[in-house]
Amino acid sequence: MEHAFVLPNSGHNWDAKSSKMGMWLFLFTELLLFGGLFLVYMVYRALNPDAFLIASFELNVYMGTVNTLVLLTSSMTIAMAITALQKGNVKLAITLSWLTILAAIAFLVIKYFEWGSKFEHGLFPGMDHYDSLPLGERLYFYLYFFMTGLHALHVIVGGIFIGVVIYFMRTGHVNKDKISLLENSGLYWHLVDLIWIYLFPLFYLIH
Amino acid sequence: MDHKEKNTEQLQEQEHISSYKEHFGTWAALILLTLMTVFVSAFGADLSTLTVATAMLIATVKALAVALYFMHLKYEAKIYRAWLIVVMALFVFFLFMVILDYLTR
Repeated sequence: MEHAFVLPNSGHNWDAKSSKMGMWLFLFTELLLFGGLFLVYMVYRALNPDAFLIASFELNVYMGTVNTLVLLTSSMTIAMAITALQKGNVKLAITLSWLTILAAIAFLVIKYFEWGSKFEHGLFPGMDHYDSLPLGERLYFYLYFFMTGLHALHVIVGGIFIGVVIYFMRTGHVNKDKISLLENSGLYWHLVDLIWIYLFPLFYLIH
Repeated sequence: MDHKEKNTEQLQEQEHISSYKEHFGTWAALILLTLMTVFVSAFGADLSTLTVATAMLIATVKALAVALYFMHLKYEAKIYRAWLIVVMALFVFFLFMVILDYLTR
């Protein structure tokens, strides 16, 4: 008996299209995760407009602005890394990916100093100063730490993801004809940027 | 073999390579919009509701620029934009339900 049937993907289980679609579907769930948090923010800010305004003065607008510029720049470098790899310039793609990771680290260092000064002022939920604040301001800081914390976690994950892709670009598993993994890490990184685009004005620029 | 050839053909068809220049232009626009939001909030302190609306409008323009150019959405198949619209519609639905809930308490 002869078996004429051959699976269409015999020999390689790689499918660029579905890989990208899967990534986008995952990003949509991430959007709704943060979307829910933005709704919580909206309700509590509508109920405590003055408290949110007063509490927001504790944040450093300069640090927030610099962090925004850092993230936007890193989004450009990872987008350019994809262009470089598509054109076959692996070296440049790796360099641009490293620049993106560097920006991720810079973002986290700035965030560390920002959070550090809040801790010094006892503004983390559970600390003495935090407990003595009126309810509206407590809600602001609770949401601030939760949302920027969850975002920072995404920055860390995105940085590690790009690091893994750099390793695969060096070994040649990710190359000109197989860019999916770099593309997906780029998409994830842009999502991190997208969320920050909304977090920044909502927490730092209240007036 | 036949399938493999077809596969690469399709890939070459769908793949769009964005230029470095395009990415740089998108970045410049994003930086400009960021500085704009900061200035609006710094100097427009009297127009409280207007500044929130302006900030959200600018943020949405920025988000669209990131999605369309950095995330290549402009060059993807239509299904991706359709999905995005469905997800956004779902979010707007949640938004209205929450607003309705709080206004009718």
